Amino acid sequence: MNAVITLELKKNLQDRGLLFWALILPIIFTVLFISVFTSGASEQESREIILSIVPGYTIMFVFFIMISMTESFLKDSKIGMVARIAGTPLPSNLYLLGKWISCMYIVFIQITVLLLFGKLVYQIPLEQPFYLIVLSLLLTFTVTGIGLALAVTVKTSNMGIALTQVIALGGALLGGLWVPVDRMPDLSQLISRLLPQYWAHQALQDAMAGTLQTVEFLQTFLILFGFGLAGFILALFFYPNFLKRAKG
Amino acid sequence: MLAVKNVSKTYASVRALNNVSINISNGVCYGLVGPNGAGKSTLIKIIALIIHDFDGEIHCSGQKNRIGYVPQDIALEETVSALDNLSFFGKLYGLRGKELKTRINKVLADIGLEERKKDKVQSFSGGMKRRLNIGCAILHQPDLIIMDEPTVGIDPQSRLHIFQMIERFKKEGRTVIYASHYMEEIERLCDEAAFIDRGEIVENGTIEGLLQKYANPAVYVKGRNCLPENISQYGTVSERNGGFFITSNAPLEVMEKIIECSKRHNSDIEQLELVRPRLEDVFFSLTGSQLRD
Repeated sequence: MNAVITLELKKNLQDRGLLFWALILPIIFTVLFISVFTSGASEQESREIILSIVPGYTIMFVFFIMISMTESFLKDSKIGMVARIAGTPLPSNLYLLGKWISCMYIVFIQITVLLLFGKLVYQIPLEQPFYLIVLSLLLTFTVTGIGLALAVTVKTSNMGIALTQVIALGGALLGGLWVPVDRMPDLSQLISRLLPQYWAHQALQDAMAGTLQTVEFLQTFLILFGFGLAGFILALFFYPNFLKRAKG
Repeated sequence: MLAVKNVSKTYASVRALNNVSINISNGVCYGLVGPNGAGKSTLIKIIALIIHDFDGEIHCSGQKNRIGYVPQDIALEETVSALDNLSFFGKLYGLRGKELKTRINKVLADIGLEERKKDKVQSFSGGMKRRLNIGCAILHQPDLIIMDEPTVGIDPQSRLHIFQMIERFKKEGRTVIYASHYMEEIERLCDEAAFIDRGEIVENGTIEGLLQKYANPAVYVKGRNCLPENISQYGTVSERNGGFFITSNAPLEVMEKIIECSKRHNSDIEQLELVRPRLEDVFFSLTGSQLRD
C-alpha cells in the first residue's frame, strides 16, 4: 500500500493543475472576497467577515479534491492500471486505501496552508490549536470519504465534475460558507444543518475564536466522522463493481 | 504445467469464452492467435488471475508473484519517471531496498532504457513505453510471463528488441504466453499455438504440426505459356498477382513440370518460387476467413 501512496503523492505534488485549484485559486478568492466585503466595514465587522471567509473558502475548496479523485480512478481504469495491479500480489482493498490516504495528505496540506495564509496575511486567531488540528483531520476524512464514494461510482469524468460542483458549490451556498446562515431563509437554515460544510464551518470559526465548547466539538466530530464513514462504506459497497468494470 | 480446463466467461449476454481447454508445458512459448474480440485478452486475464468470476478451472503451478502480466494497454503512470514506475511495480511484488535497486538496473539494461530512466514516461516514444510496460512485468523474475499484444503500434527497432527479450526468456526456461494477431510473430517466437475465434479454441498444437496438418506448401509462377495443361492434377491452381499459385503436396514435382513445360514451349519464366506455408493459411483453412477480416 505504501507504494501506491508514494506514487500517488509524487504524481499529485508535481501536478500544477492541482496546485492551482487547491492553493492558488482559494487564495485568490479569499483575498478578492475579503477585499470586497470588508470595504467600508468597521474593524469589528471586518474581523468577523475575515473569520468567516478564511475557513469558509478553505472548506469550499477542499471539496474540489473530489474531481482529482474521480479523474485518478477513471484514468487508472481506462489505461488498464487497475487490471494490471489486480495481477500483482497487492490486495485490491489496499489499492483503494492507498489512493484514499494519498488524497488525505493533499487535503490536510491544503487546509494547513490556507489557514496559515489567513493567519499570516489577515492575522486570524488560532486560539484552540488542538481542536483546529482535529477538525482539519476530520474535514480531510469527510471530504475524501465522500470523494472516494464518488470516484468508484461515476463512469465518466464529466459526471464526476458535475457532481463535485453540486456537492462543493451547493454545499457552500446552503452550508453558510458564502452567506452567514442566520441571514438565510428558515428552510435554508434547516437544510444547512444537514450538510457537513455547515458543521465544519461553525466549529472551525469557534475554534479559531477560542469559543468552541467540548460538547460542540464532540457533536461536530461525530457528524463529520459520520459523513466520512458513510462515504467510505458507500465506496466499499460500489468498489467491486468498479473493479469489475476496470478489469474488463 | 499450466492447465486451462473447460473455461467459459460471459459478459452480460456476450459469451467471451466457451469451454476453452489448453495445456501449456513449462518452458514453452505458447501463442494465442485470433482476431480482435476473439477472447484472447479475456483468457489471458483469467490465466493471470485478474478475472476470478468464470466457469471452469485453472491449474497453475505459481501464485501471483510468479506471474508477470504485460497488458495490451500501456498501463504505466506517465507523469512520473521510468524509474518511479519500475520501483512502484517492484514494491507491489514485494521487492525492497538493495534487491529492488539491483533488479531495476538489470531490467533497465534489458529494455534498453538506462539513459532515459529519470525521464517522465510521457516523453517516451510508443516503442519505449511498450518496453517499459514489459519491464514492469519482469522485475520480480516470474516463471510465467503473459504478454497481450506487446508489439501493437511500435517501430521495427523496438519490435526487434522485444523479440530478443522473448528469445532470452525462452533460453532462461521461462514459460511465455504470447497473444497476438500478427501471425508472423507467433511463427517466429512460439513453439506451440492455439487458434481462438469467437471465444472458442479452433485448434492447437505445435507450430510445425499445425503447418503440416493444415497448410500445404505452394508454388508461385509468373510468365507466358509456362503452365502445363495438366497442372491441375498436381494441386489446386488459383490466379494471383498476375501469376499462378499452385497449392500442392508435391511442390518440387510441380516446379519440375513447370520448367519442362517452359522448355518445351520455349517460354519465359519471370518468377518461380516455392512458397512456404504460413499460419495465416492455417487460420484460413480452419475458419474460412482471413485473420484481419
